[in-house]
Amino acid sequence: MKIVGLDAGSTTVKAVVMEGGRRLWRDYQRHNTRQAELVLDFLTRMEAECGLAPERDLIFFTGSGSGGFAPLVGGKFIQEVVAVAAAVERHHPEVHFVSEIGGEDMKTVFFTPAGAGTGKQVYMQSACSGGTGAFIEKTARKLGVPLEDLARMKYRDLSLHKISSKCGIFAEVDANTLVKAGVPVEEIIASLYEAVVYQNLAQLTKGNTPLPGVLLLGGPNLFFEGLQEAWQHHLGRLWAERSVALPHGTDPERLIHVSGDALYFACLGCAEIGEKEDPRVARYRGSERLRWWIEEGQHEQKAREGAKALLASEEERGSFMKKYGRPDGRAVVPPGARTARAATGAKGAETAFLACDFGSTTAKAVVVSPQGELLFSCYVMSKGNPIEDAKAVLRQVRAAGFERVAALAITGYGKDLLKDVVGADVAIVETVAHAAGALHFFPDADVICDVGGCDVKIMLLRQGTVSDFRLNSQCSSGNGAFLQGVAERYDIPLEHYAERAFRATRMPTLAMGCGVFLQSDIVNQQRKGWTAEEIMASLAAVLPLNVWVYAGQLQNLAAVGRKFVLQGGTHRNLAVVKAQVDFITGKVPGAEVVVHPCPGEAGAIGAALCAAEWWRGGGATRFLGFEQVEALAYESVTNEHTTCRWCAVNCRRTFIDVRLPGAKGRPWSKVPLAEGRERVISGNSCPKGLLEDANEMRGVKARLEESKRVFPNIAEMVREDAFRRLEGEG
Amino acid sequence: MQRWFARTPSADSKARAELRIGIPKALGLWSTHQFWVGFFTALGIEPRRIVFSSDTSEEQARQYGKGRVTVDCCYPVKCISGHYGELLVREKHRKIDVLFSPMIYSLPSFLKGHALDTLACPRVMAAPENIKAGFLREKDAFAEHGVRYAAPFVSLGDPKLVPKQLHEGLQGVIPALTLAETRNAAREGYAALEAFNARAARRSREVLARCAREDRPCLMVLARPYHMDPGIGHEIEMDLQAHGYPVLWAQHFPTDPDLLEWMFGDDIRRGFIRSPHDISDVWPSSYSANTNEILWGAKAAARMPWIACVIRLASYECGMDQPSYTPVQQIVERSGTLFFSFQDLDSTKPAASMKIRVETIAYYLQKHWRDIIERKKAASAPGCPLRKIAPPAGPAGGPGFRA
Repeated sequence: MKIVGLDAGSTTVKAVVMEGGRRLWRDYQRHNTRQAELVLDFLTRMEAECGLAPERDLIFFTGSGSGGFAPLVGGKFIQEVVAVAAAVERHHPEVHFVSEIGGEDMKTVFFTPAGAGTGKQVYMQSACSGGTGAFIEKTARKLGVPLEDLARMKYRDLSLHKISSKCGIFAEVDANTLVKAGVPVEEIIASLYEAVVYQNLAQLTKGNTPLPGVLLLGGPNLFFEGLQEAWQHHLGRLWAERSVALPHGTDPERLIHVSGDALYFACLGCAEIGEKEDPRVARYRGSERLRWWIEEGQHEQKAREGAKALLASEEERGSFMKKYGRPDGRAVVPPGARTARAATGAKGAETAFLACDFGSTTAKAVVVSPQGELLFSCYVMSKGNPIEDAKAVLRQVRAAGFERVAALAITGYGKDLLKDVVGADVAIVETVAHAAGALHFFPDADVICDVGGCDVKIMLLRQGTVSDFRLNSQCSSGNGAFLQGVAERYDIPLEHYAERAFRATRMPTLAMGCGVFLQSDIVNQQRKGWTAEEIMASLAAVLPLNVWVYAGQLQNLAAVGRKFVLQGGTHRNLAVVKAQVDFITGKVPGAEVVVHPCPGEAGAIGAALCAAEWWRGGGATRFLGFEQVEALAYESVTNEHTTCRWCAVNCRRTFIDVRLPGAKGRPWSKVPLAEGRERVISGNSCPKGLLEDANEMRGVKARLEESKRVFPNIAEMVREDAFRRLEGEG
Repeated sequence: MQRWFARTPSADSKARAELRIGIPKALGLWSTHQFWVGFFTALGIEPRRIVFSSDTSEEQARQYGKGRVTVDCCYPVKCISGHYGELLVREKHRKIDVLFSPMIYSLPSFLKGHALDTLACPRVMAAPENIKAGFLREKDAFAEHGVRYAAPFVSLGDPKLVPKQLHEGLQGVIPALTLAETRNAAREGYAALEAFNARAARRSREVLARCAREDRPCLMVLARPYHMDPGIGHEIEMDLQAHGYPVLWAQHFPTDPDLLEWMFGDDIRRGFIRSPHDISDVWPSSYSANTNEILWGAKAAARMPWIACVIRLASYECGMDQPSYTPVQQIVERSGTLFFSFQDLDSTKPAASMKIRVETIAYYLQKHWRDIIERKKAASAPGCPLRKIAPPAGPAGGPGFRA
């Protein structure tokens, strides 16, 4: 009698066939989301290559994808950690700690002697990509490192950099930053290994010390030499710190094993447990029903499982479009907003307020009338030089015929950088700009939800101020770029997204949360036969969940208010608007959901309105003027003296020195700046890089200390004095 | 004195003067600090041998707490693993002999006698037991480092019980400890704590008096005392301070009778409350010392014209804080004071969004503080003592506003 142990995991299928303790057959392959097909292929080959026979042999399944297949072929499901533990006890009784890292999960098992047997403590994590194989591979792919090379890359003796260990998408952002800063790929990969081991130790030890011997299992642990080295480094250090007694003269590294069978432990454990099971519960019944399921069953299941589509009926479409839709498929524009084309008359004479929004990827400008009407808007993709961006965007404003600017507001990441250079009257923080933009049109708004291309912002309003603010700029969950990416993959222009998504009559249910897993979930659903329309609909449907619950951490939406304003370019997409309306009204009965008349420009309009307010308060603009901005002369320097030394990333910054009458210059700098010049720093990847060096930092610190002296903080007194020990010391 | 030496066992325990006591600077320590300094000093421990762990930080947790963390959803509790670890692994010549981590059941509070009780959060009280487990699971990490672990249960809110509790709790830890000297040491401890609190309240009053004189705004933070720890409160109030606003904390609000009479006298005469410290009008179940102080602080902030803005801090999923979110917000907002809350503070400081939030608050404060002060002044009783009496002269180099 043969016993099959088959492990269908998130990225691979592995199997062994055993007979009387002998191994007859084994294989391992990536399934590329065609899990069922690969299982069938394995079974067929086992029958042909080693005589697996229906109604005689036994089959046991394990792994995250197995639950559905086992009953189809008569097999029994065994939880994977139980299976792994059984195999370890049988084949490596000397082991006290096991780490198994899979494609989308990670597990640890602690074995402790308990009486005659062994106590097992098991921890597992499968909700997030941090610490898993996907975490490494996703970033390696982005860096263009082939899997074969990845396997040989080292950890030891390489400089490590800080990479977020918590989330695969955060890590990718960190890795991108490192690449831009010129960090060698080898060091980035080593840092990834560091992050994975750290994450496993931080999340899955829970107060236990991993004691020797240690067994490393799973694909990543087997294939990636660097990962093994990282384990050796960390465990060796941990044992030294905790004075763990090692067998005399043993090098800690020799106590950490990687088994040649590392991929098959769950399979071997199945066979191990199977030997003691009642044969009737796991009799192999042949592969017929599995074949049927692949060809027909899964499609029937798809039809049963699918959720209601975005629009249930023509009636619903009618009422939704009446409230939110425009003939061109975009969100309806309430009265009060005019487009640039609609603005006529002598623009040159008109009092106009200009606002520029310098984001990390684009620079936008809007012109607003004293009544708050949008007269003109334009944008340029950022070229990395803020001065050139400012020139480009203002050139467009001027070309549209706006000569007289009563006041200039500036907002976005670049606001502090460019405020003096272009002569902005007010620099407005993003939240205030968004709130002003929303409150102008909807004075009774409670909540603003801004979903942009790269980030999600939620602003809760009270007393006419932004009382709370949630920002998610690092996790792609719920942002517009993700939708755009999927639409591009299907070759569907973003403008047609809603129209196509509304065609779906049913849609799959995608899991909320980690964007890395969402991507593989999409592939999986696609394989089940869901069409582009249906997947796009479901992606829009899951967006509110990611925005409010996953990114915004707002469990109780009803507590934050009842009037919701949707802003940001992503809300031009009516499929998203429909999903948001359904989600919000489902959570907050009686909620009113409105889309900002100019969703993409709402923030910039708000900034312009702040400029208008400033002007009404009697301000006389110090805007440099279009011509002067156009004529701004500057020299840019990029050399070893401009390189940022605040952290190991060492960003190669550029100092852009602009000629500006009255500017103070920087005589203390390593790259001295004469009077009459203003320095703009670019190319830094974090706000700290805006400070030139320790000299400037000293100045800032001194000013801060002075400000602290003038404006005391009682907590500081507690921090400084309350833990003093000597009487009379103060 | 001679009796004391006569009773000291010589060979089996270190003399007191040589003992080094390590105290994790966490949780209840942030409001009882000087009690312990005064207490141990009075027992003959050399002041420089009373050692506090450093402020909470991610590095501390990474370096010393890794793998020691036990399951607890309260971040300030989880952090103590790092504090314990840091105190245990000090270099050879700075090794501690005792790790002292009191289980503080009740707290000294200026609201004592006016509220139902002054208890600590039960989770915080029990934290030492919970955290200790992470250091005992496999091997006794304390014994390994030659450290004696002492976590006496102590009702600091009830001074009468304290000497007996600490006398019992420190048996065998402090050599030849008698009840009488413990009683005396506890008295010294309370005196040291009161002296510090009085200094802090005086400093707060100076700040308020200058604000009143110059009609300038200040901020008040409503939070638990441990949010003063930069690793727990993420220095949010310091960022606002840097924008040019003095910062008060509810725990150290001045409680001089003249000031309280001006703020609460009307409410007492109209029968809303029995005393200036009474919070039964807004918080009937006043058992928790820290929560009570936050609620009282909200009332005080609402009545103080120059407090233009209140910042509420709370840690992730804090079960003690959650029920008070709405009442605190409403008390503050109804007075026309700006209110901003940072809830769910956790291990990571989301620097980008925090910077934006601080700038946001600074913007609205700058825009509205003049109106807020005027409105609140109009609503308050005449004859503010802050404006009448010149503030006591501060020490040279002390805090002051721009002349």
